[in-house]
Amino acid sequence: MFLTTPLDTVVVVFSVGNDRGCGECAAVVLNSKLLRSVMRFNEKEMVHLSRQPSEMVAELGMRGPKKGDVVKRRLVKLVVNFLFYFKTDEEEPIGALLLEQCRVEKEDNLTFTIAFLEDAERKYLFVCDSEEQCGKWIDSIIRASYEFMRRNLIFYRTEIHRLTGKDPLEQYGISDEARFQVTNGLQHTPRDASSM
Amino acid sequence: MKIGEKVVSYFESSDSPVDKEGYLFKKGDIRPSYHKRWFVLKGNLLFYKDHPDDRDLIGVIVLEGCTVQLCESEEQFAFSLVWSELGLRPYKFAAEDQAGQESWIKALLSANHGYLSLLVMDLEKKYKETLEALFIDPANGGATPNADRQLSPQLSTLTRNSAGAVAAGPIPSSITTLKTPAAPLKSTVRRSPKLWPKRTANVTPITGPCPPTGDWSAVCSGNWEEFSKLHDDFGKEVKDLIADWSRSKRTSQVTLNENLIDLSGFE
Repeated sequence: MFLTTPLDTVVVVFSVGNDRGCGECAAVVLNSKLLRSVMRFNEKEMVHLSRQPSEMVAELGMRGPKKGDVVKRRLVKLVVNFLFYFKTDEEEPIGALLLEQCRVEKEDNLTFTIAFLEDAERKYLFVCDSEEQCGKWIDSIIRASYEFMRRNLIFYRTEIHRLTGKDPLEQYGISDEARFQVTNGLQHTPRDASSM
Repeated sequence: MKIGEKVVSYFESSDSPVDKEGYLFKKGDIRPSYHKRWFVLKGNLLFYKDHPDDRDLIGVIVLEGCTVQLCESEEQFAFSLVWSELGLRPYKFAAEDQAGQESWIKALLSANHGYLSLLVMDLEKKYKETLEALFIDPANGGATPNADRQLSPQLSTLTRNSAGAVAAGPIPSSITTLKTPAAPLKSTVRRSPKLWPKRTANVTPITGPCPPTGDWSAVCSGNWEEFSKLHDDFGKEVKDLIADWSRSKRTSQVTLNENLIDLSGFE
């Protein structure tokens, strides 16, 4: 039996036997894209990143998002916009959570959750030792987001321009960068100053 | 180590701003050949897939702790991401043309979290300094070096736009040199701000709202159509002062050869 298949497919051929010993062949064709479902990432560099100094490191109770997950003691560390979590004595993190497009909420005095917007049910829960610690973590996580920083930058840029007539990014030569553009045309032009 | 793949994927496909995207050739992880891939840069994450419309990501590169360098390669327009840590090998890329190479290098160099963080802190500081310069009276509070540079015609726009809530304290004297509206409009007697009684500066806390004060709110409720009238009033006031001065000078001087100002009209 001959089969021609496109190059990105995998063919698995197996024989189905019967009690008389005659085999029949069956073939299962798998698209190789199914085999490539695991997203690659630069793991070594991420482990290296998880070792960078951080102000926000603490042992917290942590519960995963799946049904049946329980609270476990983990070493949680905030580095740039990633939340790494380690088993207490281990050097390499178990995992990393990207803190973008997520919602951080206070659950009660000692507890906060992080929900990732693609699925409101997909909440991670963290238990702190004090209300103060809880508040600090919530604040730090919100501020760590790249998107949060970008919004702040656009706000300050707009305000400074409005107050002084000057674009503060000009001196750095980055006024034209797409990522810093004021999104809804808020760049104020000065009122008619001809009477001046 | 797990990376929370769904969250990363979601971020790539979401509406959040894309800093740069386009085709690049990426050198394979194992084999030395370059593969053309579609790259999407968002913040400190460089995503890649086969085609722009593909739903599935092949992978993501987290751009922290690395720098970008031109590199030796058989491929033209090549550059690489280089980590300083031992054991972390570079990621090699090639752009389709020189312009692409330059713009990708530029974008990747400033993609890290720290760059944006520093930039935001810098602007936050400038913003606070701007507010301070606009609302502190240098006559009482000492020199504010930013005052002259920062003040602009936007000042009155600022004070008018804050619906009712206006700047506290008397106008810094440097504003009058810019001829922004500075005299109360309501009263029939228009006095220049220099003649206002000095008072302690009511310094506005940066984060708090601006409390209204009597004279200032009257000043700022003026509008542009009246400005030229204000300007004329000022001018008249100045002329009057010159006249008074000249008169007193004249009486003390024996001879006056040349007088630049014709005072006959003021006698």
